Amino acid sequence: MPHLFRPYADTVARAVLIAILVVPFAAIAAGYWLSASPYETEQTITVDQPVPFSHEHHVGGLGLDCRYCHTAVETSPVASLPPTHTCMTCHSQLYTQAAMLAPVRESLADNEPIHWNKVNRLPDYVYFDHSIHIAKGIGCTTCHGPVATMPLMRQAAPLTMGWCLNCHRDPAPYLRPASEVFDPDWQAPADQSQRGIILAHKNLDNAHLTDCSVCHR
Amino acid sequence: MNKQLRLDQANMRGPPNSEVDRRAALKLFVSGAALALASCGRPAEQIVPYVEIPDGMTPGLPMRFASALPLAGYGRGVIVTSVEGRPIKVDGNPRHPASLGSTDVFAEATVLSLYDPDRSQAPYSGGRVQDWSAFEAALQPRLDKARARHGAGLALLTGRITSPTLIAQIEAFTKALPQVKWYRYEPSEDDAIRNGAILAFNRPATLLPRFADARVVLTLDADPLGAGPEQIRFARDITQARRTHVPDQSLRLYAVEPAWTLTGALADHRLALRPELVRNVAIEIARSLGASVPELKGPPEAEHFAKAAAADLTARQGGGLVLAGPRQPPEVHALCHWINNELSAPVDFIAPVDPLNIGGIASLKSFVADARAGAIETLMILGANPVYDAPGDLAIADCVAAVPFSAQLGLYRDETAARCTWHLPLTHVLEGWSDIRAFDGTASIVQPLIRPLYDSRTAHQIMALLSNATGPSSFDMVRGYWQQAGKHGGDFEDWWRQTLQDGVVADSAAAKISLPAPQMPEVAPVSGGENFTLAFAPDPSLFDGSFANNAWLQECPKPFTKQVWGNALHLAESDAQSLGVVDGDMVRLVAGKAVLEAPVLVRQGQASHTVATTLGYGRAGAGSLGTAVGFDVYRLRPSDSPWALADVSVSKIGGRQNLLLTQHFFELEGEAKDLQPRFALADLAKKPDLGLSKPGGNPATLYPPHDYDTYEWAMVIDTAACIGCNACVVACQAENNVPIVGPDEIAVGRDMHWLRIDDYVIGGKPGFSPVPCMHCEHAPCEPVCPVAASIHDSEGLNLQVYNRCVGTRFCQSNCPYKVRRFNFYGYADGEEYKSFGDDIVKAVFNPDVTVRGRGVMEKCTYCVQRISRARRAAEKDHRKIHDGEIVTACQAACPTRAIAFGDLSDANSRINALRAEPQAYALLGELGTRPRTTYLARLENPNPDFGKAQS
Amino acid sequence: MSLAAIRTEPTPPEAVRWTLPGARSLDAVNELVTAPLYERQLWSWKAWWLAAALSGALTAGFLVAVYVVFTRGIGVWGVNTSTVWGFAIADYVWWIGIGNAGTLISSMLLLMRQKWRASTNRFAEAMTLFAATIAGIFPIIHLGRPMYFYWLTPYPNTMTVWPQWRSALIWDFWAILSYILFSLIFWYVGLIPDLATMRDRARSKFAATAYGAFALGWRGSARHWQAYETLHLALACLGVPLVVSLHSVVGMDFAASLMPGWQETIFPPYFVVGAMYSGFAMVVCLAAMVRWGFRQEGLITIAHFDVMAKVMLMASIVMGLSYATEWFNAWYGGDRPDRSLVIFEFTGSYAPMFWALLFCNVIAPQAFWIAAVRRSVVAVFVVSILINIGMWLERILIVWNTLSHGYLPSMWRLFIPTVWDWLTTIGSLGLFVLMFLVFVRFIPAISMHEVRKLVDEEGS
Repeated sequence: MPHLFRPYADTVARAVLIAILVVPFAAIAAGYWLSASPYETEQTITVDQPVPFSHEHHVGGLGLDCRYCHTAVETSPVASLPPTHTCMTCHSQLYTQAAMLAPVRESLADNEPIHWNKVNRLPDYVYFDHSIHIAKGIGCTTCHGPVATMPLMRQAAPLTMGWCLNCHRDPAPYLRPASEVFDPDWQAPADQSQRGIILAHKNLDNAHLTDCSVCHR
Repeated sequence: MNKQLRLDQANMRGPPNSEVDRRAALKLFVSGAALALASCGRPAEQIVPYVEIPDGMTPGLPMRFASALPLAGYGRGVIVTSVEGRPIKVDGNPRHPASLGSTDVFAEATVLSLYDPDRSQAPYSGGRVQDWSAFEAALQPRLDKARARHGAGLALLTGRITSPTLIAQIEAFTKALPQVKWYRYEPSEDDAIRNGAILAFNRPATLLPRFADARVVLTLDADPLGAGPEQIRFARDITQARRTHVPDQSLRLYAVEPAWTLTGALADHRLALRPELVRNVAIEIARSLGASVPELKGPPEAEHFAKAAAADLTARQGGGLVLAGPRQPPEVHALCHWINNELSAPVDFIAPVDPLNIGGIASLKSFVADARAGAIETLMILGANPVYDAPGDLAIADCVAAVPFSAQLGLYRDETAARCTWHLPLTHVLEGWSDIRAFDGTASIVQPLIRPLYDSRTAHQIMALLSNATGPSSFDMVRGYWQQAGKHGGDFEDWWRQTLQDGVVADSAAAKISLPAPQMPEVAPVSGGENFTLAFAPDPSLFDGSFANNAWLQECPKPFTKQVWGNALHLAESDAQSLGVVDGDMVRLVAGKAVLEAPVLVRQGQASHTVATTLGYGRAGAGSLGTAVGFDVYRLRPSDSPWALADVSVSKIGGRQNLLLTQHFFELEGEAKDLQPRFALADLAKKPDLGLSKPGGNPATLYPPHDYDTYEWAMVIDTAACIGCNACVVACQAENNVPIVGPDEIAVGRDMHWLRIDDYVIGGKPGFSPVPCMHCEHAPCEPVCPVAASIHDSEGLNLQVYNRCVGTRFCQSNCPYKVRRFNFYGYADGEEYKSFGDDIVKAVFNPDVTVRGRGVMEKCTYCVQRISRARRAAEKDHRKIHDGEIVTACQAACPTRAIAFGDLSDANSRINALRAEPQAYALLGELGTRPRTTYLARLENPNPDFGKAQS
Repeated sequence: MSLAAIRTEPTPPEAVRWTLPGARSLDAVNELVTAPLYERQLWSWKAWWLAAALSGALTAGFLVAVYVVFTRGIGVWGVNTSTVWGFAIADYVWWIGIGNAGTLISSMLLLMRQKWRASTNRFAEAMTLFAATIAGIFPIIHLGRPMYFYWLTPYPNTMTVWPQWRSALIWDFWAILSYILFSLIFWYVGLIPDLATMRDRARSKFAATAYGAFALGWRGSARHWQAYETLHLALACLGVPLVVSLHSVVGMDFAASLMPGWQETIFPPYFVVGAMYSGFAMVVCLAAMVRWGFRQEGLITIAHFDVMAKVMLMASIVMGLSYATEWFNAWYGGDRPDRSLVIFEFTGSYAPMFWALLFCNVIAPQAFWIAAVRRSVVAVFVVSILINIGMWLERILIVWNTLSHGYLPSMWRLFIPTVWDWLTTIGSLGLFVLMFLVFVRFIPAISMHEVRKLVDEEGS
C-alpha cells in the first residue's frame, strides 16, 4: 500500500507540537506589548485646538506662570482652563487683528466659550485631584512633560494605572520642594534620592497612597 | 462671600454665561456619564471653560447656598450643594428651627424633582403648547373686566401660603380689588386643631410643645414623629429628652393610636384604639384631674392604660404633656388644652403662622358654593392640585370645570391642569426667589440654585401679572418686601447678605402669646359602632401625593410595612381573620355611595375595626413614574372629618394583588431577639453586663491584624434614637448616585438601597435598625473576591472598586449582613426605569461618586468621597482630620442624631465613647467579622407601675 | 452488609468474564468497534440523526440563552439581592461532578487493575472532557461582566494588578483549567493506538490521512507500546490526585465561606464522592446508549452494569451519611442560624425539592441491594437518571437554601427561576449530548487496544 505521508510530515508534526506550547504565551506577550504601546495609550498624539495656543511661546518664551491661566490648580481637583477674559487681558492690546486669535475675539463678542479639545484624559472612575499633587510637591512637568517646548499640547505620559502606581508606590524620585513645583524646566538634582526621601517623610502618608480609594470611589 | 452679588448677576441680568455654564456642565456631565465603566474606545472629549468666570466660584469645587423648602406650606431650612451650576444635594440648615441641620425624605428628594423630565415646561391650553404672551393676551380682557367690577368674578385658589412676600402681594391685590375671592386649603389640613384652640380660648392659637422640659408625654392619635413640617424638630427634641439613662429624667412616651405611627413605635407604652374611642382616654385623664365627667367604661385595656398614664402625668408636675392629633375632633383638642393647663404642661402658644380667617375645608366649601353659583368667572389656581387632593365629597373637578376661565400654575400638567382652560409651568423651589415661614413663624429667604430649566414663572410673578406690575422679577419683589419689612438697622445690604447666608431671617419667629384659662368643652365618652372606620394619614413616602412622580420616594420602603411603589389597606389581625383575608387579598370597601377595591396588608397591633391607609397614591396625572401607582383614597375623604371615614363596611372579593415589599417575606420572632436587643432603662442601671457581643470583644482569629498608621473609621448607630423616618435612606441615595430599580425589579426581590432599615417585631413591638455596610475588620467579602475588587484600605474601610469588579457576586453571597447590592441590569447605565433614564435626570448625579454600570457590585462606602475630601483638605494645611469633621450623608440627614461617625485611633473621639456604652453591641459579632459599624441597643423607659395601677 | 449481599448473590459464569464469547478474538473486537464507523450501511444511523437533531435544537437554545444573558445582563435570570447565585453555579458544580467519573474510571480503576474498565473508559473519558468543558462555560457566563473574565488570570497588564489568590474562585479557575488540559491529553494518548487501527482500516484516503495524522505515526512496535504504557500509567498516577483535588476545590467554593450550610469541613470529601456518584450515574446512562446504539452487548455486558450499580450503591450510602452529618452538626453545634437553616431545608419553601433529592440520592439506589435490579439494564438506567436529577437538586439547594435563609431574617428572599434559567440548564445538556454524538460518530467509542488486551489476558 502506498505511503500515506511524506517524510516532511514528521517535521510538521514536531512544529505543531512546539507551536501548541509556544503560541499561547507569545500571544499574551504580544497583547501586553500592544496594551502598553503609545498606540493604545494615545500618547504623543498632538491634539489640534480651535486656537493654536502655544505653551512653547507663552511658557517657554514669555515665562508665564502655569497659575496665570490654570488658576484653580492649587485649590481644586481640576486645573481649570482660562476664561476668555484671561486671554483678552493681553490680547486686547497684542495681536488684536491676528487671524489665529479670531476665535478668542468671537468668543468674547458672542459670549460663547471656546471649546478646547481635551489632551490628558482619565476614565470617569478615576478621581484625580491636581491641588493635592501640587501641595505634595509633584510638579506640573512630572506628568505633563516639557510643556515649555510644546507648540501644541500632547499627552506626555502613558496615564496607565501602572504609571500612576509607579509613583504612588515610590514617590521619592519625583518630589520637589514647594518652590519648584511650577518650574517648567525643573530637572531632578543629583542627590534627588536623598532629597526625595526627606520630602516624602515630611509630606506623605505612604500607606494610604496605594489604597484603591485614593483614586477610585 | 458676597453671594448676593453673584446671585443677582445670575438672575437679574440672567447673563448667558451662567446659562452656558449650566448647559455646558450638563453636557459635559452627560457625555461623561455616557462613558461606561472601563470603556475601551475613547470618544473625543472637550473642555468648555467660562467666558467670564462667575465671581467667587472655582471650577471643580462645590458651592453651598442656604434656602428653604416647603412642606404642607411650612418651610424647612436647607443648605443646597451645587456643582458646576447643578444643585445635587440638600442638607439641613443648623440655624433653622425646623431643620436644626437635619432633613427629611422630602427635602432630600427635592433635587430629583427639579430634574424630573415630566415637569411642565410651557404654558398649555386648548390641547396644545402655548407661550406666555398668548396667556397674558387671553387673561388681560378678563382682568380689565374684573377690575371694572372691583374684582368680582375673579378668584384665587391656593394651598397654605406662609410666604410673607406672596401674602403681602395677595393682600395688596385683594385690597385694591375687594371683590376678589381668595380660597386656600391644604390636603394635609389641621382645621380640627385650629378649631380646638378656638373652642378652648375663643381665639385661634398654635400650640408648640416644649419636649425638652417634658417628662411624660401622652399622644392621643397624634404623630409628632411622623412626616410633616415639624417632624425633624419634634423628632430631635423628643429623642434628645430620652437620651439620659436616668429613668425619672428620661421622657416617657405614651401613645394611643388606631394604627402604627412612628410615635407609637418609639413609645414606651402604646394602646391601639379605634379613632372614635381615643377621646375616652382623654376624658379619663381629665376625670383623674378632677373634671366632672363620667368614668370610662371599658375596654379594660383602655381603662388600665388611661389610669396608669393619668397617674404618671399628674405625678410629674409641670412635666406632663398631652397631644391630640388632627384626626380628633375640636372638643378633644379643647379638652387636651384644659388638661395641659391643669398639668401646667410645658407648652407655648403662638398666633397661627398661617394667617387664615377660616379653616381650609370651610374655604374650599365656599369655593364650591361660589363656583356652582357661577360667581367665579376667572380662577387662578396657584400651585395647588384640588382636583386630585380635595375631599371627594366636594366634587371639586366639576366646579373647576364649570369656571369659564381657569388657569393653574403648577409643576406638572396634573389632574387639575386637565380641568383648567390654561396650565402654566411653575418655577421649581430650587429655581426661583421666594420666602417662607417655618411652623414656628421663622422666616427664610428661598434662593435659586440654578436658572429656571424651563420657561416657568413663580407665584410672585403671577401675582405681579394679575396686578399689572410686569416689570419686577421675583428677586426684586422678595428683596423689596424685606427692604421694608426686615428688621435691618438701616444697613439693608449687610442685613440681606447675612440673612441669605444664614438661611433664616433673624428673630422672625412668632412671638409667644398668653391665653386665658381654657374652657372645659362638652365631651362625653363614646363606644365604637359595629362597622369599620377608615383612618387616613399622610404617606410616609409621598406625603399628600405631590411627590408621586419622585422615583426616590416611590421606592423608599415605608416604615413597618416596607412597601414600595404602592399603598394598601391596613387591617388588624383579628379583622383579617374574621374576613378571611391575607396580605395581598383584594377587599371591597363601601362607605355610602363610595366604593373602593384595594389589596389588604395585615398589621399586627392595629386597632380592630379600623382600616388604615395613606394618601398620595392613585394619581391620574402625576407623570410617567407616579401615575396609576396604588389607589386613590382622596375620593373617599369626607370634608367634615378629613382624617377618618366612619361607618365603612369591608368585604372580601376574589383576586389578589402582589404587594411590593422589600422585607418581611418571613417573620421569625425568635431570630430577632439577638439581632435587635432591647433593654429597659431600669435594667441598664441594674446590670452593667447585658450579655451583648461587644464592639471590642472579638473572637480569636488566625488572620494577622491590619496595621493602621493614620485613621480608623467607624460608625455607631443608636437604635434607641432611630425613629425609622428613612431620611438616611434617601440621603444616601442622593449622595451616592444610588439608582432606583422600578416595581418590576422589586417584585423579583432586587433593590439598590445601600442603607436599609431592618424592622424587627419583638413582643408585638416594631423596632428599627439601620443597616449600612459593616466595614468588617475581617470582612468575609474580601478573601472571596477573585479580582480584589472588594478590598481593605489603610484606614480600615472595606472598599468596593467598581471598575475592577467582574460581578462574581461571591462577596454578597458570603456577606452575613447582605448589605451589598448588585446591578443585575444597568439601573443607572442605559437600562433605567422609565423616565429615570432621561439625560436631564443624570444632572442629579454626584460627580464625586462613580456611576455604576451593569454587572457591578456596589455598597455603602462610608461616603469615602467625603472622607477623601476632608483628608485632602487636612493634608493641604498639614493637620489631622478633626473629630466630627467628616459627616456621612446618612449622619447629616438623621433628625435624631442617631448616627455617629469618627476615628477609632483617636482615643478622645466621640465614637470611642459611644462604643464604650454598656448597651453598645456588634451585630452578629460572634461571627468574628469585627464590624466597624456597631450599634447601641434600643432602650425603653416603661412605667414600673404600669399594670399595677389598675389592680 | 453489602459484602454479605454480594456473597449471597448467585454469580453467573459471565461475571468473571467481561466479554461475551462472540467478542473474544482480536479481530472480532476491532470489527465490533470499527464497524459502526466504516460499515454504516450495516448500522442504522436513524437514531443518531434523530438525537443529533434534538440535541442540536437544544444547543441552539443554549446559545440563544447565552446571547440574551450577554446582551441584556444576568438580570434575565431569577437571581436577586439575597440569592445572588442560582442555576449557573449549580449547573457548574453538577457538570464538574459528571466530569469527574471518566478520569476516575480510567485512572483509578487502571491503577487498581480493574479489568472491566477496558470497554467503558473511552467514552467515559470523552464524557469527562465534554462535561468539564461545559462546566467551564458556566463560571464565565454567570459573571456580571463576562468580558473581563480574564482578570481572574495572572497575565501581565498595564494596571499592574493581579488576581486575589485567597479566593476559592481562583483556585477553582486553575483546577478546572488543569483538569480540562489533563483530560484532553489523557484521552488523546489513550486514543493513539486506536487511531492507528482506524487509519489502517480506513476505506478512503482522506479518512486514512486524517486518522493517520492524529495517530502520530503509530506503528505498534514494541518500543511504541512500551513508551505508551509508561506514559499512560504516569498520566493515570497524575490523574487520581487531580480528580480528588478538583472537586475538593469546588467544595471549597462554598466551604471557604462564612455562611450557614456552607462553612463545613465535610464539604471537600463530600463533594468528591458526590461528583463520583453523579459521574458514575452518567457513565451508566451513556454505556446503556452505546451498548444499544452500536449493538455492543458483546463488549459492554450485564456484568458491567452490575459492578457499576454496586459502586453507586456504596456512594449513595456515603452521601446519606454526609447529609446526616450536616444535620447532626447543626443540632450539636447549636448555632441559631445553622439550626434554623436545617429546619428551613426540611420544612421551608424548598422542602419538596429537598425531599425529592433525598429520595433520588439516598432511597432509590437502595434498590441495588437486589441483584435482579443491578442486572437489569433498564432498572440501572432509570435509577441512574434519578441520581443525576437528585444530584442536580442537591447542588441547586446548596445554593438556594443558604442564600435564601442567611443570618438576617430581614434579607430572606426566595429564588424564582425564569425561562432563561431553564434554557441555559437544559440547553447545556443538549450541547453535551451533541458533542458526545459527534464523538461516537468519528472516534471508536470503545478502546480497542485495551479490550484486545483484556481478551488476550482472559483468553478465548
